[in-house]
Amino acid sequence: MSLQLLVAEPFVTALFSYPFLRYALITGLIMGFITPLIGSFVVIRRLSFIADTLSHFSLAGLSIGLFLINIVGLTFIEDPLYLAVIASIIGAFIIEILRGYYSNYKEISMPIVMSLGTALSALFISLSGGFNSSIYNYLFGDILSVYDKYLAIISITAIVVIGLVIIFYKDIIMVSFDETYAKLLGIKVNRFQFASTFILALVVSLSIATVGVLLVSSLMIIPVAAAMKVGKSFKNTVAIAIGFSELSVIGGLWISYEAGIPSGATIVLFNIFILFLVGFFKRFYVNRRLKERQQEIQAIKKG
Amino acid sequence: MRITVTNLTFGYDYRTVLKDVSFKLNSGDFLAVVGNNGSGKSTLIKCIIGMNKVVPKQILLDDIDVTSYKDFIKIGYVPQKFDDFNYEFPITVNEILSASAYKGIDEDTMLELLDKIGILELQNENINNLSGGQLQRVFIVRSLMNNPKLLILDEPTVGVDRGNVESFYKTINDLNKEGITVILITHNIHESKAHFTHVLSLYNGEGVFKEIVREGEEE
Repeated sequence: MSLQLLVAEPFVTALFSYPFLRYALITGLIMGFITPLIGSFVVIRRLSFIADTLSHFSLAGLSIGLFLINIVGLTFIEDPLYLAVIASIIGAFIIEILRGYYSNYKEISMPIVMSLGTALSALFISLSGGFNSSIYNYLFGDILSVYDKYLAIISITAIVVIGLVIIFYKDIIMVSFDETYAKLLGIKVNRFQFASTFILALVVSLSIATVGVLLVSSLMIIPVAAAMKVGKSFKNTVAIAIGFSELSVIGGLWISYEAGIPSGATIVLFNIFILFLVGFFKRFYVNRRLKERQQEIQAIKKG
Repeated sequence: MRITVTNLTFGYDYRTVLKDVSFKLNSGDFLAVVGNNGSGKSTLIKCIIGMNKVVPKQILLDDIDVTSYKDFIKIGYVPQKFDDFNYEFPITVNEILSASAYKGIDEDTMLELLDKIGILELQNENINNLSGGQLQRVFIVRSLMNNPKLLILDEPTVGVDRGNVESFYKTINDLNKEGITVILITHNIHESKAHFTHVLSLYNGEGVFKEIVREGEEE
């Protein structure tokens, strides 16, 4: 959806004039907060691929939803996104079952679930009458279509996620950084893993409206990848990741509004832009520090 | 903590690693487990900490069967390798230690422990900037965070320089004097200055257990 065609005033004043733009920004900011928060733990546990897998499985739910609403006529479903949430959670359960089944090759569960999700999507998109604009919006996101009910669901989810992270902070840190020691401390690691995958599934499917199925994982991983390069402690790294993420949401929405380009893609590209900037900064800064250190050592030797 | 191991036999798939191993430790005892690579030292430890599932009645911890034991938090464990630890993501020594403390240890006690092990200056250091020896000592502090009654150390001084090895064993001896049972896996019993009370020698999974009677410091 092109923003410029809809409104012809500056972004900041448009925010006050148009509720849909406010909804978009608030939704973006909430997702921008919780996705890197969860993403940090996903990265530590080397499960970056899981978000992608679940988002592909959500697409199966979306296409089944579109099929049921448009072709079968089950209009009470209202929004196919509800089925995406259910599908994502089912996908999470299948992943966990397969991870237990192939305990030495845990990553094998991802391509299996992703293939199943993609195959079901292809099948039901075709049965729903082929590729159309609503499928396109789910693939690449349409944050401007966010409405109050959806915003309420996202807000509740965010409160629950933040609450759980605060309550189980120690357990999450222990399981993420050292599973063996976590077991020794009496943490039920398997149960914990199941619960965290469930929450991940929920957040992934709810992020679809912001950036779409194909870009969801980037929202979770890229800010964390950038923050890891400059973070000095765990809390500091997560805070920086959230900061980068929020900056991308605001910057991405702003640019997409002014330039009339898709918001989801702009947010993700903004995220990648930050990642590159951080990479350059780090390289420059580290090299300079190394040089200074060498000079110091040489000065001491001469002295 | 009292530990009673009776005719412990354990294996992976078709390979028997431990054959009929028996020993008994009282609270405050200090056991050295010696043996070559593959003799079953680490397997024995994993059986004691409940990671390897054993048949009931083979291991008792404070007279409770390990298969129904729930209080593993009373065991401080320092593994030989840190392969299980994801130390590439930024986290400071303080942060990981605070997260490991489940028995409400206050910050002062934590700082005291860091000082005792000689790494107080590393408290705000990022884990992934530490050397192998420093990391080893961080994990030793971690193992002490929940007031353990049993301390298990798997070759703890590999990669630690000589000066630090001596101060390390002094700390372990002091902890042992406070009543903590210690099990130390070591390659070379003569190299360490630890005050062992018992030695378990493992050869191809079979164990010889003996008490050390001595007057001096070393065997």
